[in-house]
Amino acid sequence: MILIIGGSYQGKTAYARANFPEYRYLNQLHLFVKKRLDEGKKPDAIMAEILDIIKEGEWAIISDEIGNGVVPLEPDDRRWREITGSILTALAKEATEVHRVVCGIGQRIK
Amino acid sequence: MITLIYGGSSSGKSSYAEDYVCKSNYKNRYYLATMVPYDEESKERVKRHRDLRAGKDFVTLEHSVDITDAIPEVLTVDSGDFSTDNRLSQEDIILLECMSNLVANEMFRDGQVFHSDYCIKKIMEDVKELHQKVKNIVIVTNNVFEDSAEYDEGTKDYLRALGKINQNISALADEVYEVVVGIAIPIKEKGRVL
Repeated sequence: MILIIGGSYQGKTAYARANFPEYRYLNQLHLFVKKRLDEGKKPDAIMAEILDIIKEGEWAIISDEIGNGVVPLEPDDRRWREITGSILTALAKEATEVHRVVCGIGQRIK
Repeated sequence: MITLIYGGSSSGKSSYAEDYVCKSNYKNRYYLATMVPYDEESKERVKRHRDLRAGKDFVTLEHSVDITDAIPEVLTVDSGDFSTDNRLSQEDIILLECMSNLVANEMFRDGQVFHSDYCIKKIMEDVKELHQKVKNIVIVTNNVFEDSAEYDEGTKDYLRALGKINQNISALADEVYEVVVGIAIPIKEKGRVL
């Protein structure tokens, strides 16, 4: 699995399409996580669901970086930010490659 | 040559950009300021940036919108005798500070709100025209894309415009740096992605 991260509006999807055209994409993982937290799912269950989705075939997971702002006022937003960060960290450990996209340019950081 | 310098708020990107320009051998250095100092806080910021530039031999040009209006000013300064012959010149370098202000100014101007698609097209045309005349441009831009806040549609459209403009410029640029705590991390050098 390949993980592609970066801020919003950096051209991550275009970068994935250009560099990994044969892959299947799990895009906007940060929103995937948010939706499941809103439904009351536990972080472990969310991680298990992600791993289940990507267990067959070649996958590129794409997510916004959301951890570089001030602490959100709402507890749910704080929880979302934390859990997204820890899920991305765990996925980065599993990933064969990690790419970070800045201004449309990707750099392989793992 | 286009250089793009990207970084978070107070990351040291302006200071890095100024040093980058001053290290170069260009005869004429222009500072194209895009911020409109409309309140005390922004006046303070403008003053801080002016102090930062003091003694660095910049000619300051102020254009909060329509940056191509800087071209005749550059031509006038270059000609020395204020004639208008088109002696332009590999000897000029212009530092545009900064794209995040310019996009906001173009998007919210004349009491109207312009769509991101329009602003992207307009600003890219202006940048290309300026680049044609003044061969060396350094553009400072802002990383405002990594928090978890969910913004209203107007702010999202602004982020979309700035994000796309950053991408378009980085594709044209010879050099792209991301500045973190004052340290520039090269992303693209000599036209090559690193």
